[in-house]
Amino acid sequence: MRFLLNTGRTIKQGSFVERKNNPSYQVAAATILMNPVDMLEIMVEEGNHVRVKSDTGEVVLQVSPDNGLTRGRVFVSLGPYANHIVSPETHGTGMPDFKVTPVSIEPTDDPVLTVSSLMERCGGLPYED
Amino acid sequence: MKIEDVVCSFCGCLCDDLVVEVDGTRVVSVENGCTLANEKFLGDHRLKTPIRRSGNSWTKISYEEAIAETAAILLDADRPLLYGWSGTFGEAQSIGVHLAEILGAVIDNTSTVCHGPSILAIQEVGHPGCTLGQVKNRADVVVYWGANPVDAHPRHMSRYTTYCDGFFRKDAFKERKVIVVDVRETESSNIADEFMKVNPGGDYAVLSALRAIVRGKGDIIPARVEGVSREQLFRVADICKSAKFGAFFFGVGLTMAPGKNKNIRNAIELTEELSRHTKFTISPMRGHWNVYGSNEVFTWISGYPYAVDFARGIAFYNPGETTSVDILKREECDACLVVASDPGAHFPKACAEHLARIPTIQIDPHVNVTTHLAHIQIPVAVAGIDAEGTAYRMDGVPIRTRKLFQGSYPDDLVVLEKLYAIVKEAKG
Amino acid sequence: MPGLLIKNAFVIDPLSGVKGEVMDIAIRDGKIVEDVPSGAEIIDVRGCLTLPGGIDSHSHVCGTKVNFGRYMSPEDMRAGRTARKGVMHVTSGYSVPTTFGNSYRYSTMGYTTILEGAMAPLEARHTHEEFTATPHQDMLANTLFDGNWSIMDAVREKDVKRAAAVVAWTLAAVKGFAIKLTNPGGTEAWGWGGDMSSVHDTVPNFDVSPAEIISTMIKANELLNLPHSVHLHCNNLGVPGNYRTTLNTIGLAPDLNKERQSLYLTHVQFHSYGGTTWRDICSKSEDITMAINSRPHVVMDMGQIMFGRTTTMTADGPMEFKLYKLHHNKWSNHDVELETGSGIIPVYYSRKSLVNCVMWAIGLELALLTKNPWQCLLSTDSPNGAPFVKYPEIIALLMSRKFRENERKMIDQRTEHFVPLFAIDRELDWYEIAVMTRAGQAKALGLTRIGKGYLSPGAEADVAIYPIKPGEIDPSVDYQQVVAGFSRTLHTIKRGRVVARDGEVVVEGANSTIWSRAHVPPEYDMGKDPEFIKKFEQYYTVRMNNYPVQDVYLPRGIRIETEASL
Ligand code: SF4
Ligand SMILES: [Zn+2]
Repeated sequence: MRFLLNTGRTIKQGSFVERKNNPSYQVAAATILMNPVDMLEIMVEEGNHVRVKSDTGEVVLQVSPDNGLTRGRVFVSLGPYANHIVSPETHGTGMPDFKVTPVSIEPTDDPVLTVSSLMERCGGLPYED
Repeated sequence: MKIEDVVCSFCGCLCDDLVVEVDGTRVVSVENGCTLANEKFLGDHRLKTPIRRSGNSWTKISYEEAIAETAAILLDADRPLLYGWSGTFGEAQSIGVHLAEILGAVIDNTSTVCHGPSILAIQEVGHPGCTLGQVKNRADVVVYWGANPVDAHPRHMSRYTTYCDGFFRKDAFKERKVIVVDVRETESSNIADEFMKVNPGGDYAVLSALRAIVRGKGDIIPARVEGVSREQLFRVADICKSAKFGAFFFGVGLTMAPGKNKNIRNAIELTEELSRHTKFTISPMRGHWNVYGSNEVFTWISGYPYAVDFARGIAFYNPGETTSVDILKREECDACLVVASDPGAHFPKACAEHLARIPTIQIDPHVNVTTHLAHIQIPVAVAGIDAEGTAYRMDGVPIRTRKLFQGSYPDDLVVLEKLYAIVKEAKG
Repeated sequence: MPGLLIKNAFVIDPLSGVKGEVMDIAIRDGKIVEDVPSGAEIIDVRGCLTLPGGIDSHSHVCGTKVNFGRYMSPEDMRAGRTARKGVMHVTSGYSVPTTFGNSYRYSTMGYTTILEGAMAPLEARHTHEEFTATPHQDMLANTLFDGNWSIMDAVREKDVKRAAAVVAWTLAAVKGFAIKLTNPGGTEAWGWGGDMSSVHDTVPNFDVSPAEIISTMIKANELLNLPHSVHLHCNNLGVPGNYRTTLNTIGLAPDLNKERQSLYLTHVQFHSYGGTTWRDICSKSEDITMAINSRPHVVMDMGQIMFGRTTTMTADGPMEFKLYKLHHNKWSNHDVELETGSGIIPVYYSRKSLVNCVMWAIGLELALLTKNPWQCLLSTDSPNGAPFVKYPEIIALLMSRKFRENERKMIDQRTEHFVPLFAIDRELDWYEIAVMTRAGQAKALGLTRIGKGYLSPGAEADVAIYPIKPGEIDPSVDYQQVVAGFSRTLHTIKRGRVVARDGEVVVEGANSTIWSRAHVPPEYDMGKDPEFIKKFEQYYTVRMNNYPVQDVYLPRGIRIETEASL
């Protein structure tokens, strides 16, 4: 199913910006909010994992329901997970399209990666303190 | 020891009324702060020493080694990028600009991915704004557009707008109307007197509709504009026009959405239109603590608020070309110094991949997403906790943060000055 | 350091009574001295014009609105850029240069001291940060009180002493130099979108008039014995027919001080318009200068405009909005809680615009019709009338009737029907120019007490040496040489060091910030006044403790101390 992805700041994500190796940061940044009817449609429940794909890339996230969202729209707080699927194109403005990325979403049993393994996939080396 | 009137160093509200209790080099309690402030002051998750990636492992190194190697990397680079700056104070930012100047580097700050488009719009049409106290004392109408202060600037409403009594607004909550415009319901929209829900990407059209109504051309407005009914548009326009003092705040919901700088331009022109009828002001909700200070410092030294390229000797500015995301996406820079920010978390994946490919050095107190991409990280004191300096609030008011205790970490200024000295010596 | 000897200098030093003599100037430890021991460095200037370092008594170079002028104007930044060279940093900007741009360009023109025309107290820290990045000039800040709530409360209560106490506390807190009133009352009215249209209007909610604010502040200023007088930007700037407001304002000034004026009017060109609309605007420079000539206790600066592009910026928010509605370019505004406002718009002054030609003529007329040059100082209200780099051209226009006649051919031909300029024969001489560009400023600002504006022993060794040999050129004819000569010094000396030579800055600067500290009796200490404290607790958004500018912002501050007569 096709959805429109929006990203933004949330207080949870903000609370953990200084400990991004912490599992709570991962929960805050790797959660995708969906309208509950859409969740029924793709047959996922709260806490299930989904694979979110865009033209740019794909990432596994966990689902959480949000009644405030219109059907067909999803929300991920800004951070490394959302940025796995946002295009770097800025249309000459310097600013990527953080607010409107078309994505497809399907259930998956794959795990949600940790922040450090996500970066490892980008060519980095995890640092664990 | 209890310290009063402490300045929070988390968001652009720069609340300066915190009471912080300190025991030695540890913060034990915070009063008056929001959740974000509490996390900031009470959290203690610092990187202990400088670290360097050597092949597939991390090693601890000394500050001298870390700084010397950083200098060598920057001196060796053909096109270094110096990125970040919003989480540190002005004095350190100032050394950063001089470092970029002497290296012929590009220097950019986090507005590149928050209010850069607002700056572009302001450069086209200007910015009728005011300090936050004007809003607090006078405003009877407050509009939040594409902003969710409850989550991103938790005390904005209680210190400056909705819940804050002022000289001409003795009972603010009753006397003040709050309008929230967003593509989704948020904690902020829940407490609005009027919530205008716009289709994603529809802000430009809705702003244009409001401008038309304020100009007296309301008859051309169709029944619905991007999800908003004609009735609601007229109602909102009317509330704004009949305000005695209206204050318009906009967030990244407007700068990041399709239209970007054009959305902001339209919002500013709406404000200008309203100014012909009544008093109206507009202000960006600057997010990251001292991001506005980085714009100020960059500007008085180089002439431009962000995305400044010194490669030609002179200061050159062309957002879309000299902005960090574009430079990284084009795989153009061959070294990157990240100061007080986290591009690993906030830039698209392609940029993170390039950061991992080149020597990236990070000066930051904490392990963050960029740490995993970096070659070297140098931990420093936290601005506003164990380092002091100047920060600019989202409305341009400069405030000096306090140092709450003398810790063991050097601050950004000390590290950057050492780096600058080595580079200057080498460049002659 | 054995010192420095400038030989064969053609010196004009009005404050010391030197009107053009070839002499030597000895410098040691940053001061002018009687003589220096042998071994001193010698600079032979072979009869070149040697003046005390230039002082600008009204310019906009540092602070919130200046920086916003840069921020919003990449087109202006592109219009003047230089690369890093030697000790010089990169610079950008034409009408609103970067701080180093301002500093280098002023320095190469021989300027060593600049007064920033408008600093909002709440944002003072910003001004001071930029002062430190303007390293080749000593800096002073006019501090805005035009819409200050505590001041207006004191004015309403007719309590001059309380007004003085508020000024004393504020200047000390923000390290300001003098009292600036910009469109008094008008900036508060602008908080609701209004303005003042005469000195007898009433400020909404405060029940005071501009006239009352001005009169009270003039008295308060003298009670504090501040070095400078009240520095006033009159109401109704830029409005046709505003000369009446200006005359009314001049009429308010009592003569209270023996050493200097009691009222300083800034950029008076913008306040000398007759007519009723932009169609019939005409010069009222004769009326204004007649008033000034008969009141030695009033000093003004010109506020000359020059043709070309520039940026207007002032604390006068409502005026900028009016101007915006005429120009339709871009508009910024920034109101400051409990204190003042500001606005910025870019403008282009065109030779093809009759209005602009009239404005251009008025500025020159003010200087030419004021009999005593100590009463009319040279300024453009930089960058409002023109960027300060235009000063040399203005000097040449004042010194040469021929230059003015040549300009007359290039401007709107109707201009002469609206202005008296072309009937004025007067050509200023070198001495008068020296008064209007440094000595007059030093006296008006009260800076002679710290050794500024003159060159006799004991003075600060701030010296400007121009490649002009007064005996050899006739400024009336060779006006292009006058322009070239004043554009770049042979040597600019700041506190005894050569800082610029032949248009290039040669050392890193180390300037000072000069501020005023008036000591008041304990019962006038506003820091302990419950009403005053309440304004911070309830209405400001910054805590009283976080408001004062800390000493770290003034690494080499010079404090002028006075005892208040309260
Ligand atoms: S609103 Fe912002 S500045 Fe104020 S306490 Fe919260 S995080 Fe800190
Ligand atoms: Zn001025």
